[in-house]
Amino acid sequence: MAEVRFEHVTKRFGDVVAVNDLNLEIPDKEFLVLVGPSGCGKTTALRLLSGLEEITNGNIYINDSLVNDVPPKDRDIAMVFQSYALYPHMSVYNNMAFGLSLRKTPKDEIKRRVNEAAHILGIEELLKRKPRQLSGGQRQRVALGRAIVREPAVFLFDEPLSNLDAKLRVQTRAELSKLHQRLGTTFIYVTHDQVEAMTMATRIAVMDAGVIQQVGTPQELYERPDNAFVAGFIGSPAMNFFEVTVRGDRDEMYLDTDTFRVAVPSQKVSLLVPYLEKKIIFGIRPEHIHVPEYMPSGIVASPVRARLDVTELMGNEFFFYLLSGNKQFLARVDARTTAKPGQDIEVVFNMDNMHAFDPGTGKAVLR
Amino acid sequence: MSRLPLHLIIVGIALLWMTPAFGLLTSSFRDAAAVANSGWWTAFQTPFDFTLENYQDVLSQNRMGLSFINSLIISIPGTIIPILVAGYAAFAFACMRFRGRDALFIFVVALLVVPVQMTLIPVLRLLTDIKLVGTFPAIWLAHTAYGLPFAIFLLRNFFGALPRELLESAYLDGASNFRVFFRLVLPLSVPALASLAIFQFLWVWNDLLVALVILQDPSKVPMTVTITNLVSSYGTQWQLLTSAAFISMMLPLVVFFALQRYFVQGILAGSVKG
Repeated sequence: MAEVRFEHVTKRFGDVVAVNDLNLEIPDKEFLVLVGPSGCGKTTALRLLSGLEEITNGNIYINDSLVNDVPPKDRDIAMVFQSYALYPHMSVYNNMAFGLSLRKTPKDEIKRRVNEAAHILGIEELLKRKPRQLSGGQRQRVALGRAIVREPAVFLFDEPLSNLDAKLRVQTRAELSKLHQRLGTTFIYVTHDQVEAMTMATRIAVMDAGVIQQVGTPQELYERPDNAFVAGFIGSPAMNFFEVTVRGDRDEMYLDTDTFRVAVPSQKVSLLVPYLEKKIIFGIRPEHIHVPEYMPSGIVASPVRARLDVTELMGNEFFFYLLSGNKQFLARVDARTTAKPGQDIEVVFNMDNMHAFDPGTGKAVLR
Repeated sequence: MSRLPLHLIIVGIALLWMTPAFGLLTSSFRDAAAVANSGWWTAFQTPFDFTLENYQDVLSQNRMGLSFINSLIISIPGTIIPILVAGYAAFAFACMRFRGRDALFIFVVALLVVPVQMTLIPVLRLLTDIKLVGTFPAIWLAHTAYGLPFAIFLLRNFFGALPRELLESAYLDGASNFRVFFRLVLPLSVPALASLAIFQFLWVWNDLLVALVILQDPSKVPMTVTITNLVSSYGTQWQLLTSAAFISMMLPLVVFFALQRYFVQGILAGSVKG
């Protein structure tokens, strides 16, 4: 059992509030990803859990035991750092064995655990080498191995893939997911990359300015973001936002930018009635904007005319940078589309997937 | 080719710098009359009157062997003890957090401006009061105290440049501050420690003033004091002085050349990322 609980946790550095009244429960065996932009407090939250930083207010529990005053080494956690933090003057074997030898683990037990971890990670031939003789990916595995041999209740990861090249990052993501399934231990993972969050997490906690914006499964965060920040952060490329005025009436409602208007589907009208003749933030993801000739059938399609500014061929699809008035937005369209930059084209918005946010609070309106 | 003028200037300055030492070396191979009557550069004209008798005279002095041993007894602990003490202090300043840390560090480094001479009388009084004056531990204490500000400054900057995550990883693994210091920080700081050892060893080996003041027993004085006494007991015998000086220089030269690659690293230690 390795359940983690943050209760009203706050951390201040002088006048700066890095973590603000954090409340979060992480059940046993979950892969929770803390994601957010740089400076949002996610690494601080992880360091508070590990004991490397002291809490200003609040309580942290690991398996129902209060750990506020427990030193890091007694919290039954292991941490993988962004820079791996391998001991440069020790061999890979000794790096992995260091923690165990400090705890006076018997030598044969150390050997068994190190060899087993090395086998899981495929680094058996590297045990005698020093860190400087390893590649980035190999060093990362050694850092993982050092955490695994400790057999902790909770694994903590602080942006461990940031120093890897793109290809290795993709490969290692899959391996981390497999490792989580194999070990069946709670993983708490911090990253600024929402792709890592979406692909690996059981649940994601999005943070901004020290505050949790939303916690949910990747699917929930993608389809039903609680506010404009989460909507814009999750999903790549990011959601398009338009400042629009809600016009019309209960029978026929539409959203009016200065340059185009789109119809609101009937099932969403009642939620937008309070905003008639008022401004809201209208959001739609690039993957829900199509060209008419290749759009999916059966969708509520609202046509929009715009100038095609730039195209980027990704192989399986085009990114179309479109301009309406002075507002730029992005569409992901079929790779067979023949439109060229400079042309005025018609695209359709799949309004079933529209999002709306209050312009003052940023909160989602259609919930 | 464009670097040739720069190289010539550097070589020229090096030669200029070495000239007095070279003159001293030449004089050490000349007899008393030659040294008294002509400049050392004339030794390179005929007749070539080089002699080894200066070295023979100096080495046959029965005090010289004893004072060489004394120099070692003073210099070796006088190097190791300050490094250990400074190491502990620098680790605390660099890697631990406590109230008043930065103010205390500035105070310690500010002690660098205090001239040694100003402290001699109070230190002598203190050592007399605690009945240590004239003993080897007294001079080890004195050299430790005098060497600490610079040593702490150098080591604290070097330790501070070690990646913080490395130490945090060790704390998470279960290491105490003690373990982190001995098994992690010290092994990774060998360049800084070696260059500090050179600085401190040279300072202590070549010291005359502190030894003269604190060690009054003739059987305990180092080579620097014995060489000075050569002059006073035999009058102005420059030729003996020059050869004694070169004998005294031998050991530090060996130490320096053995550890010289750390010396250059050490000069840069702490110069970035302070």
